[in-house]
Amino acid sequence: MSPPELRVRGRWPPPEGPRAAIVGSRRPSPYGEAVAEQLALELARAGVVIVSGLALGIDAAAHRGALNAGGATVAVMGTGVDIVYPAAHSKLAEDILAAGGALVSQFPDGTAPRRHNFPARNYTMASLSDVVIVVEAAEGSGALITAEAALDLHKEVMAVPGSVFSPLSVGTHALLRDGAGLVQNARDVMAVLHPGGEVLDDPLAAPRSFGFKLRPERDGILSHLSDVLALNAAELARKLQLPVAEVLGRLTALELDGAVKRHQGGYVRALRRGKERA
Amino acid sequence: MLVGLDVRPVHVEAYIGRGEVAFVLVGLATTTVKEARERVRAAIRNSALDFPTTRLAVNLAPAELRKDGTGLDLPIAVAIALARAEKRPPPNSAFLGELALDGSVRHVDGVLVAARGLRELGYERVFVPAPDAAEASLVDGLEVIPCVSLAAVVNHLLAVEPIPAARSTPAGARAESVVEHDLREVHGQEEAKRALEVAAAGGHHLLMSGPPGGGKTMLARCLPGILPPLELDEALEVAQVRSLLGDLPPGRPLDWTRPFRAPHHGISTAGLVGGGSGLAQPGEISRATHGVLFLDELAEFQAPVLQALRQPLETGWVTITRSGGSVRYPARFTLVAATNPCPCGWAGDGIRSCRCTPAAVDTYQRRLSGPLLDRIDLQVAARRVGLEQLSSEPMGETSAVVRQRVIAARKRQLDRQGCLNAQLKPARLRQFASLAPHSRRTLERWSVQRGMTARGFHRAWRVARTAADLDGSPEIEEPHVLEALGFRLNDVAA
Repeated sequence: MSPPELRVRGRWPPPEGPRAAIVGSRRPSPYGEAVAEQLALELARAGVVIVSGLALGIDAAAHRGALNAGGATVAVMGTGVDIVYPAAHSKLAEDILAAGGALVSQFPDGTAPRRHNFPARNYTMASLSDVVIVVEAAEGSGALITAEAALDLHKEVMAVPGSVFSPLSVGTHALLRDGAGLVQNARDVMAVLHPGGEVLDDPLAAPRSFGFKLRPERDGILSHLSDVLALNAAELARKLQLPVAEVLGRLTALELDGAVKRHQGGYVRALRRGKERA
Repeated sequence: MLVGLDVRPVHVEAYIGRGEVAFVLVGLATTTVKEARERVRAAIRNSALDFPTTRLAVNLAPAELRKDGTGLDLPIAVAIALARAEKRPPPNSAFLGELALDGSVRHVDGVLVAARGLRELGYERVFVPAPDAAEASLVDGLEVIPCVSLAAVVNHLLAVEPIPAARSTPAGARAESVVEHDLREVHGQEEAKRALEVAAAGGHHLLMSGPPGGGKTMLARCLPGILPPLELDEALEVAQVRSLLGDLPPGRPLDWTRPFRAPHHGISTAGLVGGGSGLAQPGEISRATHGVLFLDELAEFQAPVLQALRQPLETGWVTITRSGGSVRYPARFTLVAATNPCPCGWAGDGIRSCRCTPAAVDTYQRRLSGPLLDRIDLQVAARRVGLEQLSSEPMGETSAVVRQRVIAARKRQLDRQGCLNAQLKPARLRQFASLAPHSRRTLERWSVQRGMTARGFHRAWRVARTAADLDGSPEIEEPHVLEALGFRLNDVAA
């Protein structure tokens, strides 16, 4: 099936190069958001055009990552190209256009957001990409529709693993179990995009990290915090055998320094994104 | 007569003149008072007293005041009986009660309010329905004559057979205040418990956010038990509102336990803040005065209903104007509000996932924001405790232990500034709650980083003062500020 006719704002076709769609939950954990942004940044640096859906969460993080790398990124919209949804992303849409990217849509101008339009959009997104990477998708997530479309279109599907405790890992882990490619870093994706190319790393060596730099430990609190699952002050206080008022205060101090952040009624470790890393 | 909690004495005069048989009642009487004619006529005849057979005029003064309520039955009948006997009533005495057709005296609402008001106006003796005598005798320095029947009252006044004055009701030991829900029974939730303690100590309002079944209601019900028992004045004020509504338990009019009111989210504005036709009746917020008003599912309340809470939250009073006039009721309560994090309730839960769209969550949370949330000092996320944890969780402190700390912290505040920290206005905050230099720097850094409003800044400052008071610290140190900032949910990172 050929991709439907597209309406375009910005530069089209995008610059030469492979295209990777990065999709996932609209309400990711800080971990998922950091992964999507970092992955997009590294892939964009390597000349990959990042395709996503301009939605909240993972989509926005992917676009941002590509923009941070100075790369072109394509937003495939479920509305007319003249209507930015969600409206909060109008600045992001402008940035995409300014950086030489494009907003594209299969829907006529003036199409308002409609629930039933988004699955079709997901299909288009898959058809425009060489590989679809899913970062954090709960059961029934729209990102899984994109992955399914990619399979129909004989494109590669890859997924980033997450915590087994997190509901946001259910969809991605199901994909991995069913044979999706494992993404631990940008090189895993590059290897798929250039099947002829060689991956020089020893496959048995421990995978290198994405390049997140954790703050040096300031106290015992950080080592008890996860980057995916939120713990609240009471739970930490019990682990550390400290009064809850004190733990709450210390968490706030760490929050003030940007080392932890609020997530789902608790706290998670903030991942500092290595934006300058090539 | 009562206008809200204000007492307006009504002078009843009776004149028996010549002329054809008539019973004229003048002085701006409403329907219930006009109906008094029939009750009074029957009651006098059935009390083996003579009803005048010539022209009878009864005047209710002051003439410009609208007279309402059945409490005027007894004074009208007494005035007629005394006029017939050509006697004057005893000085500085007031009468209050509804008459049955057989001449017995029935209960009326608001006797405690009336008795306190009359005492202040200089009255020394009050005749009240016998069932309400215990209520009236809570007032010091007032002779209370319990009235069983009109005949007994008239015999008393004509010195035929005096009625012994009611003994003043012993106020009862304050230790009687019962802790109905103990913090010990709440497993886990240490963060929310600490927030409750701070709320109790400083009089701060509290918002709890968390999934259904997380124990928010249970936590809220524990708050009265960690507050100090009511002071005498406070207990009387609580009893006054209940007395107006006819809700005082007979025999034990004074209750030392702090009120706990939990209206359903379908409540109307009139039900919450007070209202009704004619003169406004007190609403839930006045019934919660000196206690706790618990609003569960805050986002489900209608917006205008929540808007109406703003004035009382600021001032501790509510003024309601209806066709019958303006009344003012006390409304100094601690607000405990609870909300789910999203419409389905499961956002942020570790076990069940949320099924709401981000837009729906956004709308839901926006309903909560704004002026009301701006007046809630403490915000805390209550998380669900897993079942396996419920049993393994160590038992926490009892309410009695927490209450001791709360009482000590409250005493420090009252000694220093004469009110609780939550009531400190910014000017007095600067005067009584000085920040150590590094504390101020931390607070300012946060407020710049998070784009906090001036109101938010002062709120965190007040909570920090309470944290310091719980600690027994004269200065607000950095950990106190940090704790206060930890009890905030809605500062978005800039």
